[in-house]
Amino acid sequence: MENTTEDIVLDIRGQICPACLLITLSELNSNRERLTEASARLVIKTDHRDATRTIPGAALAMGYGVAVTQKERYYEITLEHKK
Amino acid sequence: MSETGEFLEADLRASSESLKKYIRDKVNHLLSVMGTKPLDEEELDDNTLIELDPIGIIARSFEQILEHQRETNRRLTVAKDQLQAVFDTVGVCISIIDEDMRIVNCNEKQKDLLVSANTSVIGKHCYEIYCGKDSPSLDCPAVETLATGKPVFIREVEKKDRHFQIVTSPLKDENGKVTGVIEVSIDVTEKKKAERLMRQAEKLTAIGLLAGGIAHELNNPLGNIIGYATLLLKDKQSGLRPDRREKLEIIVEQAKKGSEIIKGLLDFSRQSVPSFSDVRLNEIIRKTIRTLQNRISLQKIKIDIELAEKLIVRADPRQIELVVLNLLLNSVQAFEGIKRKDKVISIKTGRENNLIQVRIADNGPGIPEEILPGIFDPFFTTKPIGKGVGLGLSICSGIIREHKGSIRVRSESGKGTEFIFTLPAVASKTG
Repeated sequence: MENTTEDIVLDIRGQICPACLLITLSELNSNRERLTEASARLVIKTDHRDATRTIPGAALAMGYGVAVTQKERYYEITLEHKK
Repeated sequence: MSETGEFLEADLRASSESLKKYIRDKVNHLLSVMGTKPLDEEELDDNTLIELDPIGIIARSFEQILEHQRETNRRLTVAKDQLQAVFDTVGVCISIIDEDMRIVNCNEKQKDLLVSANTSVIGKHCYEIYCGKDSPSLDCPAVETLATGKPVFIREVEKKDRHFQIVTSPLKDENGKVTGVIEVSIDVTEKKKAERLMRQAEKLTAIGLLAGGIAHELNNPLGNIIGYATLLLKDKQSGLRPDRREKLEIIVEQAKKGSEIIKGLLDFSRQSVPSFSDVRLNEIIRKTIRTLQNRISLQKIKIDIELAEKLIVRADPRQIELVVLNLLLNSVQAFEGIKRKDKVISIKTGRENNLIQVRIADNGPGIPEEILPGIFDPFFTTKPIGKGVGLGLSICSGIIREHKGSIRVRSESGKGTEFIFTLPAVASKTG
């Protein structure tokens, strides 16, 4: 079956907290409907280690599923609404 | 710029600074709630901060958090209701008990079986509520689990005259300390009763076959002994000396006693097929009383009769007569050797739904509690040797069972005994 979920990529490499969190929250708010319907997921690229703690914490409280993957020079945080 | 203008500008600048500080403080407060660091003034100057609108972002995020919380609460409520329904309707008793043996929670099944109506159980000691005791039993599985921290698998325990198979599991806190016990129990009272009846039925069948076989084999030689001895006694030509005639009479008498015992054994094995017909129960009772009237009068026993009308049962009249005779005889014999003026046997019949009930009670000395459970067993007797073989009540029990009825006994030492048997009613006719 074809995967119809769109990836909204948010590249915030170079930013540090709390800006990382605020930008992510702003993106979650702007795309709330698509994310809630699970037609899209938010993929965040960050090189700020603290963000791998603050962003998942806030996203989980909002009901998103979170996956953190360590890439070569950054972290990839995927936020996806649980159906 | 005039002096007033300068004054106003300074005032506005001060207000703006105060407002920016207020916004930064509030944003920092909200960020700390979100679990992150405060704003760095060098990274985010005042103008960028106001442009970013962090309060707006966080407020909308809180809206999502609240919505998620509401949804989570709704799902939790549904799950809790479902769990409660399962907890209450599952066919086993479940109890949660704390380390002081106090009830934290229990399901409806547990309350139905072991808790009196309108009794509050939460916070009460489980051994008081469930077992009716003032301390836990030595074999209590909950005590063992609390002491060892290990589950106890399937232990049979008696609570308030009911039998339960119990499994207990420990409840532990995050440090592994035992804080309570979950006790799950299944009521096996009826199962045990059925097993006991099954064992008794098997025993009765085996004894019945054996007794029937032996009785048949003994009947003929005994008949010959009685016959030849009687012939000899009647033979006037035999010239028997009086002392030998007396001995011959003893032989006949003892052989007849043996024959009576054999008759009992044959009745017990019931090798004759019951012949069912519509029977007027009250007539059988009256007839049986007449049969025993002589003995009743001799022992000066008062008979109280209270017979309901229209009692018809589908039964073998000879066998039901035997049951009534045996029970009545038992009551009469209960007064043997007792010199009292208020000796009473009461006989009552009644109808309840589709069952006809017969109660035969006496105010004799009663049956000791320890022998009551074996009273319907074959060859069970408290009478002296030669006075009875202990088959009467066993025969009654077998007959009633064959008639799809039930029989039970109630007795209290010093107050008397009551036998109650029921038979299925077949129609409403005048009895």
